[in-house]
Amino acid sequence: MTLLLAGGSFLSFNTGFAIWILISMVVFLFVMTKYAVPPIMKSLAEREQNIKESLESAEQAIAKAEKISEDNKKALREAEVKAQQIRKEALDEAELLRTERINKAKEDAAHIIEQAKASIEQEKKQALMELRSEVAKLAVRSASIIIDSELDVEKNNKLVDNFLSDLPKN
Amino acid sequence: MIQSLRRVFLTLLFLSISTPNIFAFEAGEGGEEEPVIDIVGTVADHDYFKAFGAKIYLPRIYYWEDAAGETHLDFYTSVKSAEASEEFTHSEEGVTVPADGGHIIVDMSLTSHLLYFWFGLGGAVFITFLAASRYRKGVGRDVEPKGALQNLFEVLFIFVRDEIAKENIDDHKYARFVPYLFTVFMGISFMNLFGLLPWAATATADLTVTGTLAVITFVITQFSGTKDYWGHIFWFPGVPGWVRIILTPVEILGMFTKPFALAIRLFANMLSGKIMIIAILGLVFIFADAFGTAAGLGVGVFSVSLTAALYALKAFVALVQAYIFTLLSAVFIGMAAEDHEHGEEGYYTEHVE
Repeated sequence: MTLLLAGGSFLSFNTGFAIWILISMVVFLFVMTKYAVPPIMKSLAEREQNIKESLESAEQAIAKAEKISEDNKKALREAEVKAQQIRKEALDEAELLRTERINKAKEDAAHIIEQAKASIEQEKKQALMELRSEVAKLAVRSASIIIDSELDVEKNNKLVDNFLSDLPKN
Repeated sequence: MIQSLRRVFLTLLFLSISTPNIFAFEAGEGGEEEPVIDIVGTVADHDYFKAFGAKIYLPRIYYWEDAAGETHLDFYTSVKSAEASEEFTHSEEGVTVPADGGHIIVDMSLTSHLLYFWFGLGGAVFITFLAASRYRKGVGRDVEPKGALQNLFEVLFIFVRDEIAKENIDDHKYARFVPYLFTVFMGISFMNLFGLLPWAATATADLTVTGTLAVITFVITQFSGTKDYWGHIFWFPGVPGWVRIILTPVEILGMFTKPFALAIRLFANMLSGKIMIIAILGLVFIFADAFGTAAGLGVGVFSVSLTAALYALKAFVALVQAYIFTLLSAVFIGMAAEDHEHGEEGYYTEHVE
């Protein structure tokens, strides 16, 4: 069937030719729709999804890393503050301890000095006593030597003792 | 709508003016002597395939009715063998007809345009398969696309998918139409570009090809039409009853004018480009014939430089027309497949205003 001009002209609509084209188009379209295009569409969609997800997860990771670094900084600051505090406390404590020690040492020293003084006093007293008895003995002996054995030892001792007790204590 | 009506009108105008001229040209030149250059013969469909200077005659398939009213389906390897078989003869109008009366009902013969149609669409399918095999292997899916060809393919594919399909068809529906749109886009591009080869035929410069493609778009459009689409055609919402008497025929007409414009636009554009180039180059031979070789050479300088410029333009037009055909197909499908998600009230105000 020709529409406008008898065969061969470009303005004709050729039914047989149209049937061919329709059949070929149906075949081509079937092949394209069924086999060729879907894997491409799917791959592209998958890739786009992948890229989208990757970008999103990267953003999340960055946010997370930023948060972590922020946390770290905060922790560091806190640690520094705490360290400062601890140092200060330690210093204070050390100061306290030192003064305490010094005081104690001073006390101890005073105590020792006191004891030493007391023992010196004691020694001195004893020494005096010993000295006194020694002196008495010496005096008696010397007196006995001098005056000889006629003299009554007992009376003499009493005499010396009296003399000695009259002596000043120191 | 108005635009497509105007296009139809212009096309009809073009046809009414150009057809008698072509007739006159053919009758005037062909009747008396052999024409210097046969424009119509060059752009018309042929029963042979020409490549590198050789003519390969294509098989003829006739479904015909003889004088007795019996129908036959016959197959011949070429026109010559058909005419040699004594069943057919060469008529005076230059057409092959049954020898003893009767007529050919359907001429299913292979023609040069059909071959180029197959080359074009086949090329589109071939490269799509090539690309698909790469995507199946994971190139382009798990890793980036590799190589110029795949990247080029992807540019075209994503262009059709995003700029043509997604742009005009609802988001949850567009994926279904991408194979058709891509096939048509690549097929028409290939056919148009094949037409630029000097020895080749432009399959898209044939009304049968563009018409059939438009019919396919038409069928797809109607089959993807929503309730809303049909409602707008047969029972236009928000207008007084009597207006529908005018509107309904106009809307029904509009269903057909859209694909008609689609077919004519592509056909006319491709044909005009081809005719223009043949005519301008033909000047060389006409001048050489009329005024001698020197005149022919002189015109040749002008003709060839103009043709070179026109070729660049035609290469551009080839892609633009493929794009326009595909884009308008997508627009028509998108209009039919569109879901109107609006309440009745907003719907009325929107449509009455």
